Amino acid sequence: MAEAQAQSDIEARPKQKAERTDESTRPGAYFQPAVDIFETPEEIVVRADMPGVSPDAVDVKLDGDQLTIEGRVDPQEYSGLKPLYVEYGVGGYLRRFTLGEAIDREQIKAQLQNGVLTLHLPKAERARSRRISVQAA
Amino acid sequence: MVTPYKDPFAQLQRELERMLESTFGSVSASTVGVYPTVNVFDAGEDYVIKAELPGVDPSKVEIEAQDNTLVLRGERKFDDPTTENVAYHRRERDQGQFRRVVRLPGKVDGDKAAATYHNGVLTIRVPKAKETQPRRVAIQAA
Repeated sequence: MAEAQAQSDIEARPKQKAERTDESTRPGAYFQPAVDIFETPEEIVVRADMPGVSPDAVDVKLDGDQLTIEGRVDPQEYSGLKPLYVEYGVGGYLRRFTLGEAIDREQIKAQLQNGVLTLHLPKAERARSRRISVQAA
Repeated sequence: MVTPYKDPFAQLQRELERMLESTFGSVSASTVGVYPTVNVFDAGEDYVIKAELPGVDPSKVEIEAQDNTLVLRGERKFDDPTTENVAYHRRERDQGQFRRVVRLPGKVDGDKAAATYHNGVLTIRVPKAKETQPRRVAIQAA
């Protein structure tokens, strides 16, 4: 019915299921969002693809060095729709990371736009690498 | 007496899972195909096509619907960090151009297609062509 005919630079990667380890009363499937994580001398930036999640349905938690991001999709988007052909599962998003750096928790910024979560995690002052200049004798 | 709570969305999710498995079988989904992946729904007089396109500028997406074919074309591009001294720990999100052809179950009235982009999901609603819509046939009394 639907054909995989066409050209795209982007690879269609299947969504990976995420396992919930906690006892959850929320039903349904969870997937691992695809992420980019990069680090600058000042901060760690996480970008996560969470299509279908609105800004009020995302949770970001930092527990010790464990960063958890979670998002839920709005079931209303699917009311009255009967699936005919399916290439991807629909559900929430969940992923955990261990941060190797101390983070200044007060300064964390999160933004969700067009289904992409962007997290700015500024490094705590003591964790920032300092360049030490060697003085000529 | 406790009545089990039947969540309609949970039921839909299970239905999607079941159909996803029958579409691709147990073959692990390296065969999924071309970006973006789509789901096609029946909505009575319309077909509804959904594609997950997070972080895409909707003004750069072109949609064409004709006969029983839907074409999605566009670009996914995001700002890379401009600062120097950037170290990537993970890089899973692709960018680039995409073009996807979707064969629909029946003919559509492409002129009346309407698209929305909400939270990174593109939703296209297109009326089925008159010939595709179910017709109620009245039985005449003899």
